[in-house]
Amino acid sequence: MGITLNNVKKSFGPIDVIHDVSMEIPTGDFAVFVGPSGCGKSTLLRMIAGLEDTTGGTISIEGRDVTHVEPARREVAMVFQSYALYPHLTVFENMAFSLRLKKTPKARINDMVQEAARILHLEDHLKKRPSELSGGQRQRVAIGRAIVRQPKVFLFDEPLSNLDAELRVQMRLELARLHKQIGATMIYVTHDQVEAMTLADRIFVLKSGVVQQAGRPLELYDDPDNQFVGGFIGSPAMNFLAGRALGQQDGLLRIGLDAIGQELTARVTTEVAAGTGIRIGLRPEHLQPVDGGIPATVEMEEDLGGVSYLHARLSDGRPIVVEMRGRRNSLDGKAIAVGAAPEDVLVFAENGRRLR
Amino acid sequence: MRSIRKIENAVLTACTFLAAALWIFPLYWAFITSIRSEERVVSDAAGIMPDEFNLSSYVDILWNSNLVNWYINSIGTALIITVTVIVSGMMCAYAISQMRFPGRRILYGVVLASFMVPSQALVVTQFILMNDMGLINTWAGIILPQLIVPVVIIVYKQFFDAVPKEMREAVVLDGGGDYTLLFKIYLPLNWGITTALAIITFIMAWNQFLWPFLAVTTEDMMTIPVGITQVKDAFGVFYARLMSVALLGAMPVAVAYLIFQKRVTQAVMISSGVKG
Repeated sequence: MGITLNNVKKSFGPIDVIHDVSMEIPTGDFAVFVGPSGCGKSTLLRMIAGLEDTTGGTISIEGRDVTHVEPARREVAMVFQSYALYPHLTVFENMAFSLRLKKTPKARINDMVQEAARILHLEDHLKKRPSELSGGQRQRVAIGRAIVRQPKVFLFDEPLSNLDAELRVQMRLELARLHKQIGATMIYVTHDQVEAMTLADRIFVLKSGVVQQAGRPLELYDDPDNQFVGGFIGSPAMNFLAGRALGQQDGLLRIGLDAIGQELTARVTTEVAAGTGIRIGLRPEHLQPVDGGIPATVEMEEDLGGVSYLHARLSDGRPIVVEMRGRRNSLDGKAIAVGAAPEDVLVFAENGRRLR
Repeated sequence: MRSIRKIENAVLTACTFLAAALWIFPLYWAFITSIRSEERVVSDAAGIMPDEFNLSSYVDILWNSNLVNWYINSIGTALIITVTVIVSGMMCAYAISQMRFPGRRILYGVVLASFMVPSQALVVTQFILMNDMGLINTWAGIILPQLIVPVVIIVYKQFFDAVPKEMREAVVLDGGGDYTLLFKIYLPLNWGITTALAIITFIMAWNQFLWPFLAVTTEDMMTIPVGITQVKDAFGVFYARLMSVALLGAMPVAVAYLIFQKRVTQAVMISSGVKG
């Protein structure tokens, strides 16, 4: 059951922003919509919430068609990027607001708010106003306001964007813990692929209102359907090089990197005619120093302790990032040669489609 | 450098004192006139310094005029005008700012246009209308034309526009409608503005002269500013009594101003566009 979207469309006047999106999110899943700014991920979330009308298609929550149901009757709760707390009300009153509108008995409201406050460690702050709280506490109040409603679906619209880096990591863990604890279906919108990778059971990568790929985080990381997904998922991003198919034998495709006069081999079973222009994708961690590999000059290195990122430049001037582990000697300014195993070389057609 | 600054400060202070003296002199003159006898006021011996403490004009005004009626009329009409203007202005501003309906922009254009028409230009038509409705010499006749205060709508709209969209959406998701939004979110969020607008509307209504002067012909229905014009007899004006009524009439507004000084300043700045 969960949430089902069938050919959902959204247009603002003549501009189509969501094109025929269909997806299924099982009950209890933590789904993440990820994509660059303007890809339609927030619009899609707002359509599920009922805050935006749906131009076409249907949205169902737990088997009930809610496409034209008003937001309050969809049994969804939303946590906004700006928290949207009511500044003139205390934390308790903020969390009790929806229950009071529903005329819930006072004792029940008290119990529900106390329970949410306990889950979110807000017991000591119930009498404070939002202005007296830190960013992380405000975010927890916003989540608490959602919890007390006991919705079928929690919707999060970039909820951690306003927090500093350290707090963001902390809140990310708390959200993951909360999801395990209450087990509700959650949809989370972010442009940060690290948040997507760490939180999601299932990621939906969007671009220009189209779902590019949906799947478990590591599926998307290891086996992207297209160049966009390959480039978007993973940090540092995947390296892309232009090449040409030279020949194929026993599932191995020989690729010529004309601009730098090098060759690579990739495992590809799809038939690729010799001479076809292609793009190859190489994850930084799959590039290793090898004799006779692709030559590059290290321009800068970032040493993070356990891992180092070498920002190098190929002979044709293209940048490339190489990940190295456990290295202690500096390679800054030095020439290196790198290569990758055939199964780690991802091949994409010129239109961006993956060739497997 | 320091001595130049000292001289500058001294000149500025002197200018401020001079401006304050010029401003306060009429009030001072009104006060010393009100505590003189009528004979003393018109005699050549009346100087600039207080030389008599005679409360007979106050006693006379309190016992021999309709001052109590004028007070009741002024308080009653000003209160009704304030409450109605604030409530209707707030609701109108909410509709224009937050609701989507055909003609919304035109409606706001009409509000802005009415702001640009001086009220004096409308008095003749308003008088004919009130007369046709049989409302001359009634509170309704005094109140109705004074309910058009577009600046209240404009100021409220500005503040409602500034409330984040997410807050509205949070209320919608919580199951609240427009009533909840207006009275439980937008109004409490803008209490400061409401207080400021209420005070300035009350003061404007209290000080209103032209319209109540036209709309009322009987002495018992007059407001204080209109009542002041009645303090005369066949032999001319009673200056001491006139000043007593003026001071008594200004007293509630002065007291209100002293209590809500900060809010009044805020309201003047907001409604004049100095600060939004």
